[in-house]
Amino acid sequence: MNPRIENLFREGTPSSGMIGEFIQSNRFPLVEPGHVTFIFQGQADEVNLRRWISGLSTAQSMQLLEGTDLWALRMELPDKSRFEYKFEVVRGGNRDLVLDKLNEVTAQDPFGANSVCQGYGYTRPGWTLHDAEARRGTLTGVQLYSKAFESQRDIQVYLPARFRRSRSYPLLVVHDGADYLHYADLETVLDNLIHRLEIPAMIVAMTQSPDRLVEYTGDQRHARFIGDELLQELITKFPLIDSNRARGLMGASLGGVASLHTARQYPNRFGQLLLQSGSFAFSDLGKHQKGAVFDPVVRFVNEYRKNPFALAEKIYMSCGIYESLIYENRSLVPLLQAQGMQVHFEEARDAHNWENWRDRLRNGLSWLFPGPLWMVYE
Amino acid sequence: MQILLGPQDPTPNLRQAVETINADGPIVVISAGWRDSEGEIDELQETVERPLEDLMLYQRAERVFANEPALQDLQRARQDNLTELQRLYRIRLAPTIAAARKLMRTRAEPELLRLEQRAAINQLRALDAHHLRRIRDIHRNFNQRRAELEVPLALVQRDKVQQRVEKAGLVLIAGGHVAVLLNRIRLFGLNQLLAQKPVIAWSAGAMAMTERIVLFHHSAPQGKRDAELLDAGLGIVRRRVILPHASTRLDWRNRRRMALFSRRFSPAVCCTLDNGSMIHLDNDRVIASSKSFIVMKTGRKRSLTKK
Repeated sequence: MNPRIENLFREGTPSSGMIGEFIQSNRFPLVEPGHVTFIFQGQADEVNLRRWISGLSTAQSMQLLEGTDLWALRMELPDKSRFEYKFEVVRGGNRDLVLDKLNEVTAQDPFGANSVCQGYGYTRPGWTLHDAEARRGTLTGVQLYSKAFESQRDIQVYLPARFRRSRSYPLLVVHDGADYLHYADLETVLDNLIHRLEIPAMIVAMTQSPDRLVEYTGDQRHARFIGDELLQELITKFPLIDSNRARGLMGASLGGVASLHTARQYPNRFGQLLLQSGSFAFSDLGKHQKGAVFDPVVRFVNEYRKNPFALAEKIYMSCGIYESLIYENRSLVPLLQAQGMQVHFEEARDAHNWENWRDRLRNGLSWLFPGPLWMVYE
Repeated sequence: MQILLGPQDPTPNLRQAVETINADGPIVVISAGWRDSEGEIDELQETVERPLEDLMLYQRAERVFANEPALQDLQRARQDNLTELQRLYRIRLAPTIAAARKLMRTRAEPELLRLEQRAAINQLRALDAHHLRRIRDIHRNFNQRRAELEVPLALVQRDKVQQRVEKAGLVLIAGGHVAVLLNRIRLFGLNQLLAQKPVIAWSAGAMAMTERIVLFHHSAPQGKRDAELLDAGLGIVRRRVILPHASTRLDWRNRRRMALFSRRFSPAVCCTLDNGSMIHLDNDRVIASSKSFIVMKTGRKRSLTKK
């Protein structure tokens, strides 16, 4: 049991006043080295912790602390880990998934919000937070008619602070760009890393697919859109460095698949790939179990695994060890390295979520696009 | 007379320094360290409230290289040599500094340990000194071969720049990319002239004024990196190693690391320059200073005060 709970029960069942004080004077969940304790307060027939950690059961029941309305669960958690969770509250046969009201740390994604458990020693990196000294870049819109998709596409383009048309810039194309901006603070991260000279001033084009379950799963139209149409449009509109080394593709989850697939269709057109928790599903034997959406992904990844070749100069890959995709990502790394590409693979004690991807951006971007930090003293 | 300043962002202290010098004559600026942004001195002008002329060393050099490819080839060969030499130096530096660091944290009989630590630091100093000699050889070789080249445009441009510096009452040297800045100052043969002029230099500009350029960053994004000797500086400011952005680039919590840093470059004094810092020197003597610190042999810092 957590020592603070032991202390609460030291003299028997605590009064409601003592419980109130316990709630007021602690931050939840209760974190200690190697462990975390979740607390839910309220009347219920049953309370479960629902967490999304691959390899562990998704639900774990919480225990009612005798004589109180407190439910508790203590579990092992390696230091500096992070995962998202909700409480499943069962009352009169109804099951509700609710946020942890005692924990103000939440993570947003396109499907809503989750509570976030930050293990002992985890702190949000300072470079992901607004820095008043960092000059801010600007976002501008570009509209492009895609012949590949036969539809209009809206692109958001990040221009760095002190953007000058007389200079040339590296280019990064980001899949799910609006989500990266909203859920992973990409604009702040870019402002900060450029300000700190950890990456060069760069232009970042952010795409957002209206149907990513189709377009990001190995769709030839998407590759053509990114590798031909969008790139040409950006070259026409912005001063870009004319070198594949200065061009990159980035994406998370299916966005990682879309990036890798585009790079395979247009080898070395983009010299740098940043792939986060890529959904690189494959099947060596028999049929995969990931559902029909993944059929084209499996076809593409199987084909590439069968006939691999160098498709970029450098690839940064990251994946959380609490997500099932760690298997697919780990197995892809030696295959990519064997083609002569420089591959940097980073595993994090985290899961399949935007904050994991946010926290890895500094390492990924600064490795692919090293800034002049070492030599520059402004 | 020289005034060395820290980074001018967010709060510049350049104006006070300019007022201290009270220049008799035009003020010229060297902003070659800004590379593509060279010459964008509107903000400086607003700060100083005096007319400024940028010498445009970076862009002049680009024009010269475009017109006189033999000089560009020679320059490129020098840079390639320096880059390769730096790579080789790092191969030796890594184990040498690792051994010194290990000895700094090892427990042993104090007298035995003290001598071993001292020997390890001497090895580090010897390596740095050797590297500096090799760098100077490369520069010497470049200068000899350059003298044999027919480069009329380079000579015209050099004379123009030198005339402007001679007439100037004050030279401002901005920060930026320290290798580029140093390279352009050398290319236009300004070393001797700058030694005779009042100079205000900040960040990389202040580093360039010294005898040795030391690159450092203890929290670089790809992990800790050991300080490296990059090049010989102009040697106008002697017996000092200048450390701009020291509060953010150095790991002050790691006393042993900082102690090693200080002892490695001793007898030169490691001086910090952060935003708001100022060191006013006359014949290598500090006549005034503010918000600058010395890294002591214990790894702690103490204020650099007038002695």
